[in-house]
Amino acid sequence: MNTFTIPRSLGRSLVGLLATTILTAAPAKGPGPSKHAGRGIACAQCHGKGGKREAVPMRQCQTCHDPEALAARTAQVKPTNPHQNRHYGTQTDCTRCHHEHRASENFCLPCHTRFGFKVP
Amino acid sequence: MSDERRDEATAPDAYTRQMLEQGLSRRSFLGRAAGGAAAAGFLGLGAMPALAGVASEGKGAGAFAHSADGGATLSFLPKPKPIRDREIAETLTFDVVVVGAGASGVPAALSAAEHGAKVAVVQKAPFALSQGNTGSGVDLATSEKAGVEALVARLIADSNHRCNPKLIRQWAYNSGEAVRWVIDRAKQGGATVVDQGSPAQRAILKVNGYGMGYVTSFFGPKPYTTGDGIRALAKTAEKAGVKFFFQMPAVQLVQGRSGEVQGVIARGQDGKYRKFLAKKGVILATGDYQNNKAMSDYFIPDVKHLERKQLDKTGDGYAMTYWAGGVFEPIGHTKMLHDFDAGPASMCDTPFLAVDRKGRRFVNETVEMSLLNNYLKDPENAGHYAQVFDADYMTQAATWPGKQVPPEGLKNYMPDEPGPKKGVFESQVNTHRADTLEELARKLELDPATFVATVKRYNEVVASGKDSDFGKPATFLAPVAKAPFYGIHRRVRLSAICSGMLVDEHHQALDADGKPIKGLFLVGNLGGGFYGGVDYPLTVFGLSLGRCYTFGYLTGRHVARL
Repeated sequence: MNTFTIPRSLGRSLVGLLATTILTAAPAKGPGPSKHAGRGIACAQCHGKGGKREAVPMRQCQTCHDPEALAARTAQVKPTNPHQNRHYGTQTDCTRCHHEHRASENFCLPCHTRFGFKVP
Repeated sequence: MSDERRDEATAPDAYTRQMLEQGLSRRSFLGRAAGGAAAAGFLGLGAMPALAGVASEGKGAGAFAHSADGGATLSFLPKPKPIRDREIAETLTFDVVVVGAGASGVPAALSAAEHGAKVAVVQKAPFALSQGNTGSGVDLATSEKAGVEALVARLIADSNHRCNPKLIRQWAYNSGEAVRWVIDRAKQGGATVVDQGSPAQRAILKVNGYGMGYVTSFFGPKPYTTGDGIRALAKTAEKAGVKFFFQMPAVQLVQGRSGEVQGVIARGQDGKYRKFLAKKGVILATGDYQNNKAMSDYFIPDVKHLERKQLDKTGDGYAMTYWAGGVFEPIGHTKMLHDFDAGPASMCDTPFLAVDRKGRRFVNETVEMSLLNNYLKDPENAGHYAQVFDADYMTQAATWPGKQVPPEGLKNYMPDEPGPKKGVFESQVNTHRADTLEELARKLELDPATFVATVKRYNEVVASGKDSDFGKPATFLAPVAKAPFYGIHRRVRLSAICSGMLVDEHHQALDADGKPIKGLFLVGNLGGGFYGGVDYPLTVFGLSLGRCYTFGYLTGRHVARL
């Protein structure tokens, strides 16, 4: 497997991404700063188009981020690969650790007190 | 009382009668909510104390009239609206549908398949899961009948006489066969497993003087566990025709007009519902509810501040069974909190000096590790403590309980020692060595001043030859005086909650009238009646997994034959 993999839908969404960037050139207004919004991704792309902002299911993340490829990229992380673990394999829900509108957290830490991952 | 006039043969046993009186079901909730004598009369079992309590309360009756749960409403378990057929993306039909691919669910599925059933397993996680290493059964061929009965009696006493004796007996007389079957089938799937037999159960080779033999399956050593073993067993099950559906959490049972369970609805990762119809029955093997805060706080408040070992054990099967009319065992469920990993498991019950998270002595150290959670359940300690000993421990503790690992071997449990570790969970080892007490305190995350004062006082007690602080036998008093000093920072965390929903000997869920709910079977920690004490007993090492295998094996076969 490639060590670095371009998110598989990047090509497909490139045109859309440009369009979105133009349409939402101003930073998205929302509950807090968002790296995704900073890259021109509209709220609805993750949270759905309905009036209610829905929690983001992992399948939504997977439309751009491939868990297998991500696990391969972090294979050498010490003391262990956070993206390939005995609890979930490569299928740990991204939002266990990675947050958009608040600081990310190290979900492993309460049980594995020496897994000092810095979570982006 | 109409119960007394019932035919002896059809009347529920004493355990079941008590559960029907004191357990929690939707009917008892609805009855209480309706309130008063009318509700009790409508239900036709006016003698049920909980309902009687509500009735009496209305009349301003005395202090003993309240039900044990304070008139619970289980408001955290509102029954959801049934998912409509037009919301279902796909419907699949099997003979048996098992929910949960763990130490009970996978055996249940394989057992059903081997008895001719078309079987599906729906599992929340991306693969089969289990924990621990040892699962045990009784080897009837090498056991005296009186010994089996004596062991049954011992286990009933271990459960403070609150369990269902019929289920203990069922384990005792079927577990040898079931555990052997699991070993064989897991091996077929490529598992690393051995039968450690009777030598693994040294303390119970004789029970009340009667001879006993055991089948002791061991998936290991760590970090290999029963989780790996169950995944191997799942491979065998797949070869036998069982269809697995992963990342597919069950959300609702499908019930017919008369309440019979016809299947289960699960939600796939795509967010779509799938209906799994079960012609013969649904077997729930969903595990405990330790990660469901409301359920935990309600049924087992003792563990409120104690750390969890498991993930996603949200009690889905409890909720679904409750909605279907099932009965919860009453408040005060049985818990299992262990730490076999921070230091050698063989030293966890050695009565060395023990100190709490600050560094204070807190107990007569002959109390076993598996019970120490009861002393450490406050938010500050949260299950943390340290065992402390000095350079002479190999000689001083040579005749004490446990098996002492020499200093060279202890290095395998020391995170500060470089090099790979063997036979342990490397991220959980937490044993330390230091040349001074202050340095040891820092490594054990204790308050140094408090810890040094504790050791000083302990050494005074030791010198006096009598433990005037906690009454520990003089034979277990040895000073902590000679460097290097050692400490094992243990933290007991919740492995499992092992109380559940009322079942009969077929592991079929019972409703509030004690009637079997057609099509609904419960195994593993979700199944009630097997324990009852404050803590899971360590009399039979590996009882928990042994029970899961056995009841999965028996229930799969039973449902397949329906």
